[in-house]
Amino acid sequence: MKRMQSDRLICGVAALLALFGVPRVDRAWSSTPTSHRSSPVLQSEKADITPFRGFTAHDLAYSGLDAVTTGGIRIIDGDTARTIATVYSSQYANFAWAPDYRTLYVSETYWTLGDRGRREDVLSIYGGPTLRNEGEITLPGRLISDPKTHTFALSTDGRFGYVYSFQPASSVSVVDLHARKVITEVQIPGCGLVFPFGERGFASLCADGSLAVADVNAHGRYTVHRSKPFFDVLNDPVMDESVADSESGLALFVTYDGWVHPVNLGDTPHFGAPWSIEQAAGISPATSTVGQVTWRPGGQVPFAYERSRQRLFVLMHEGPPWSFEQGGTEIWVLDVRHQRLLERWAVPESAYLLAVTQDARPLLFALSQTWLWVMNAESGAVGRAAQIVAPGVIRVKGG
Amino acid sequence: MRPFNVDKVGERFTRRLAGRLSRRSALARLGALLVAAPAFPLLPVQRARAGDAGTDFSRAAQTHDDSACNYWRYCGMDGNLCVCCGGGPHSCPPGSQPSPTSWIGSCTNPDDQRAYLVAYHDCCGASACTECSCTNTDHAMPIYRPQANNHVTWCFGTQGFQYHCSLAVLVGPAE
Repeated sequence: MKRMQSDRLICGVAALLALFGVPRVDRAWSSTPTSHRSSPVLQSEKADITPFRGFTAHDLAYSGLDAVTTGGIRIIDGDTARTIATVYSSQYANFAWAPDYRTLYVSETYWTLGDRGRREDVLSIYGGPTLRNEGEITLPGRLISDPKTHTFALSTDGRFGYVYSFQPASSVSVVDLHARKVITEVQIPGCGLVFPFGERGFASLCADGSLAVADVNAHGRYTVHRSKPFFDVLNDPVMDESVADSESGLALFVTYDGWVHPVNLGDTPHFGAPWSIEQAAGISPATSTVGQVTWRPGGQVPFAYERSRQRLFVLMHEGPPWSFEQGGTEIWVLDVRHQRLLERWAVPESAYLLAVTQDARPLLFALSQTWLWVMNAESGAVGRAAQIVAPGVIRVKGG
Repeated sequence: MRPFNVDKVGERFTRRLAGRLSRRSALARLGALLVAAPAFPLLPVQRARAGDAGTDFSRAAQTHDDSACNYWRYCGMDGNLCVCCGGGPHSCPPGSQPSPTSWIGSCTNPDDQRAYLVAYHDCCGASACTECSCTNTDHAMPIYRPQANNHVTWCFGTQGFQYHCSLAVLVGPAE
């Protein structure tokens, strides 16, 4: 018995040495005679997870672009331009942060056999100290398309989520995020996208150039009514990626030709007089006249709005009508209150997406399909640059 | 009072004209009239076509190479050309399947200057074909007007929802 215990001990030590000790000691001996004293033979580290510090004012989060790009939601620290976290997602996902900026909701779609089998549309929840998956909320459906900012949004207080669905009939799923369930499906025939306002309201743009407004009535049920058309949808439609500030309710719907339609969202929306970005810069407004090559807004997400200073940042390019997906060679900075151009900044190469932080030292993020440039939003100076995978939806804190 | 004789008046006018003009001159004027005449009644029609046809895309479009983004049918094409993935302008490559749904564009054929309705169907159920990527946006509409939007993944009604490539199926003249 004693002999057996001693044998076990020898075997145990030998096994430990074989696993950890001997190779390291051999390597140490082969370098310098004294180096083994400074190199620990056994290390006390273990694999763990870096705590998630929360989504902060200078961070940028972005999803992948399409079926070719790797999915996932990546979070970048704008001060260092380095990735600090990534969350799994399907292709064509959208996402939004809860007001605590530690909980992330990802609107996405899976099939049991990759691209076939049973389809599952879900709102995945990530959170906790390490951004772990905390479950899913099953959705009745959602739009699958190239990424669009306004296909998913939360109410200002973070209580409700709104998921735009197209099957191909148009509707909005209203999700109670506290109860973790879909509470109703609001039909919005002929309309699309969601722009939240107030406690539970949302607006959608419509195919005839009007605005649909949905809100709960005294019985707690959603009713939908439509405004009169406020833009010429066939010749100069407003862009999907127009900006809306859910805090103030101000939406700036911008057309292909650069006309800004200010709308105060609410049960009774107020439509302001449209103004031209080009006119604000002292040049003739762009038109849809064939052959007119002039400055126009364009790109994938061509607008960013800074709430406190009421600045509208726009990616601009020189191009003909219908060139609204062309990347911007310049960023124009506009004072929304006085409807005038303040700055024109060149970008290192054509940029397709813009986002601006909402803090006192705002950063402007300009993105191409491969690069991120972090700029000073007051001076336009490029501070940092980093390579990225092709981006889809981009979001900042409070944006 | 002698009654007005149309035949006599016509005869006198013709004889006087024949006496003053040579036959070649008459034919030349008639020819000029025939050549010029179509321009006048057709002008409004030409303008109407120019309105449809005269987009910046159609001015640079061609009709011989369907693997190039400026092929005339691709005026509203956003995606990968099935022609480059083993298929044709209206045929999905093997392994993929066309969706019965589509978005619609109106493209002008530069050869006859006529506008044609084109249905852009996605081919689905095969891994993404990354060849011949085009981003044409001629009269493309935002996503809230989906019938002319090329950002929706138009894979409704197929076995697999994975986008593979896009077709440009000719529907017919748009006029």
